[in-house]
Amino acid sequence: MHVGLLRFVLLRLLQLVPVTIIVIVINFLLLHLAPGDISTTLAGDNADPAYLAMIRESYGLDRPFHEQLWRYLVQIGSGDMGVSFRSREPVFDEIMLRVPATLLLVGTSLVLSVVVGTSIGTWIARRPGSTLDSGISALAVGLFSIPVFWLGLMLVLLFAVRLQILPAMGMTSVDGPREGIGRVMDVATHMVLPVLALMTVSLGQYVRLARSAVAEVMGESYITTVRAIGFSERTIMMHYALRNALLPVVTVLGLQLGLVLTGAVLTETVFSWPGLGRLIYDAILARDTPVIMGSFIIMSATVAIASLVTDLLYAVIDPRVGLK
Amino acid sequence: MPWLIARLVRTGFLTLCLLGAVGSMAQQPTTLVVPQLGEPKTLSPNFASDSLGFAPTSNIYSHLVAIDWGVNKGTGAYGDLAESWSTSPDGKVVTFKLHKAAKWHDGKPVTAADVKFTYDTIIAKKYPAFVVLKNVREVTTPDDHTVVLNLIDPEIGFVPMLAQVSTWTAKIYPKHLWSDQDGFDKGPYVIAPVGSGPFRFVRWEKGGLVELESNKAYFRGPAKVDRLVFRQVTDVNVARAEFDSGRLQFLNYEYAPPLAEIVALRQDPKVRVVFTPSHFSRDIQLNLTRKPLDKLEVRQAIAHAIDREAMNRLAFGGFWKPATHASVESQGDLINRAATFPAFDRAKAEALLDTAGLPRGPGGWRFDISVTNPNCPDCKAMMQVLVQQLRQVGINAKLEQFDQATWFRRQAEKNFDISCYFTRYGPDPDAYREHFMTGGGRNNMSYSNAEFDQLATRAATLPDKAQRRAIYQQLQGMIVRDLPYINLFNEQKTTIIRAGWSGFNTEPEAFDKAITWFGYYSVVPPGK
Repeated sequence: MHVGLLRFVLLRLLQLVPVTIIVIVINFLLLHLAPGDISTTLAGDNADPAYLAMIRESYGLDRPFHEQLWRYLVQIGSGDMGVSFRSREPVFDEIMLRVPATLLLVGTSLVLSVVVGTSIGTWIARRPGSTLDSGISALAVGLFSIPVFWLGLMLVLLFAVRLQILPAMGMTSVDGPREGIGRVMDVATHMVLPVLALMTVSLGQYVRLARSAVAEVMGESYITTVRAIGFSERTIMMHYALRNALLPVVTVLGLQLGLVLTGAVLTETVFSWPGLGRLIYDAILARDTPVIMGSFIIMSATVAIASLVTDLLYAVIDPRVGLK
Repeated sequence: MPWLIARLVRTGFLTLCLLGAVGSMAQQPTTLVVPQLGEPKTLSPNFASDSLGFAPTSNIYSHLVAIDWGVNKGTGAYGDLAESWSTSPDGKVVTFKLHKAAKWHDGKPVTAADVKFTYDTIIAKKYPAFVVLKNVREVTTPDDHTVVLNLIDPEIGFVPMLAQVSTWTAKIYPKHLWSDQDGFDKGPYVIAPVGSGPFRFVRWEKGGLVELESNKAYFRGPAKVDRLVFRQVTDVNVARAEFDSGRLQFLNYEYAPPLAEIVALRQDPKVRVVFTPSHFSRDIQLNLTRKPLDKLEVRQAIAHAIDREAMNRLAFGGFWKPATHASVESQGDLINRAATFPAFDRAKAEALLDTAGLPRGPGGWRFDISVTNPNCPDCKAMMQVLVQQLRQVGINAKLEQFDQATWFRRQAEKNFDISCYFTRYGPDPDAYREHFMTGGGRNNMSYSNAEFDQLATRAATLPDKAQRRAIYQQLQGMIVRDLPYINLFNEQKTTIIRAGWSGFNTEPEAFDKAITWFGYYSVVPPGK
């Protein structure tokens, strides 16, 4: 069993290699097709033609496409993501500086929306068709439809401007404590509004998912049997119904896990959260190719790992699913 | 009795608290938070143009000569590290005398060797400032406080252009800290700069916070603001909310509220709204290689179709100043007031187009044209109005918008019909050459006039102000006659400031004192 599992995981990780190469080639092509390059960003207002030519030459931007692509593939193959055109800092360092902030934000809101959403959905599925069920389902759809940047701005207006009890921007206060429990509390206070904004939107999704999955399971004959045996309603819900209804929830969770690094650009923009989504957006506008390519590689690796984790979770939850 | 004692204790306790609060307030450093749309990429400004780094580095580093919004008063350049300068009669040798009291943040004195080292490195590596330093044949330092720039060709506008470029990418670096690095993009001082400016570097918290503190040993006297913090605020609406709630003390033009809201803001006694003209305009460039823009009557017709007053009302709430000359108001007596662009006259526009052989077709349209603009809000607003005004005279104008890098590339490739643009007229009128001379770096219109080229080249070397003025006025006459571009507005920056604070670089009291357009040296907090 363990050897089979290990082989499964290793094979999936090996698949990362061809996937990454395809990602690099396609994105390199797309970037190359977009007009404009880093030289105009670096030159600023005084676009002296000699300076532009020098920049293009030093970054190899005047070489033909296939030569640039080959050079990049070789570089990646040796484990070097290169340096950012704009800051000359190593791309990997720049990305890793931002990853914790994004993981913290998106990870927290993901966990909260799954747990809270599934709980609410399960709870209202006890009486499908009731007023409570219809009311909360409608509310869930409403929440799911709210644009996250609008919600973010409304939260800022209410909590930061009117009530003045929560901060509106950044991850830390200007004069906040730099370490220790003080800093943790500082970051936590700054996290409340952005997490609330992100969470609200996906909360509705999980409420609806859990509700329909559990309601369907509750209609099965084995539930009637278990009820007849005499188990408490709570045991039936948690142990028998929810376990079997988790599969659709895990599927959606797996998809959202893949997007954990980039799914928050709008929220990061509203709250000036120093995350990866915003880094990629700025890099694209400036045509900072190494940063863009490095980010895409890490993103595709994240998606691949997320789908691997999802498949493993399936095997844990549902004994009918076998790993191949 | 016990209640009296309790009362006394309570009062005493409260008084102590109050005293403590007052005491700590008196010692609390004044902090100015400067919001920025993004984080700097680097704190070494000279190796590449990092626009988000301009503000922090302009306060950490010094410049040989600098320039700020004082261009509106007519000041082209003033000395930062340079106490004075003089130009030789043949215009090829510029001698700068440096302030003797200037010191680096590590205590060592600033000397001519630092200036020579900085400029030599820029020239050798062709960093962005090379665009102005390429005319320098050699930098010599006869003594510790004298720098001599020997130019290849005489250039009257050299010092103002040097001042302008210095505020972006030619700040003076300490030789004793950088001489062992190969270039300005390597080494520990890229992210922990040591300068000689009014503020010293404290820390850079990646993720959007750069903290500076007042340099007590600054040779002009310490700044009145104790702490200067550059904070990344990526959303304009959030910045406005923070300003409204009192947590931000000012918003610069990057965060300027829509001009329709200015009326309400002006009524608020706690807020000051400041409008500051620049030496740029907002205009449209017409691509002379595209049909039918190659016909003069068509360009004249377009000029007649434009209603600047209506555009002002719709795009700027009436707060901008239309420009009807080939110049902007800050240029003073350089403006040729007799050379005006064609006035708004729809009938004339239609007549001209008919004469040009472009009558209205069956659908009512004469010809198709595309209009584009750089990615800034005022350009966007203006072009939306322009498209409508052109359609009124039968020109089927369509608005095409791109991201900044794409727009820039298309302009450079001359792949456009009409584009909104930001022509520059100062700090030295030699700027006309860049925009209108054959092959000029910003001559996207492909305008080519041999007489213009000849006169403009001559004016760049003439030391006599009156002669230069006469030529530049003549050049304006040519531009207004040939219409390669049509000037629309004087560019204007909007700043909103909380009452009690003063001395911001866009305010008249800070002109020639702020040290660059991004300097906060002259800011005065309330109570000081």
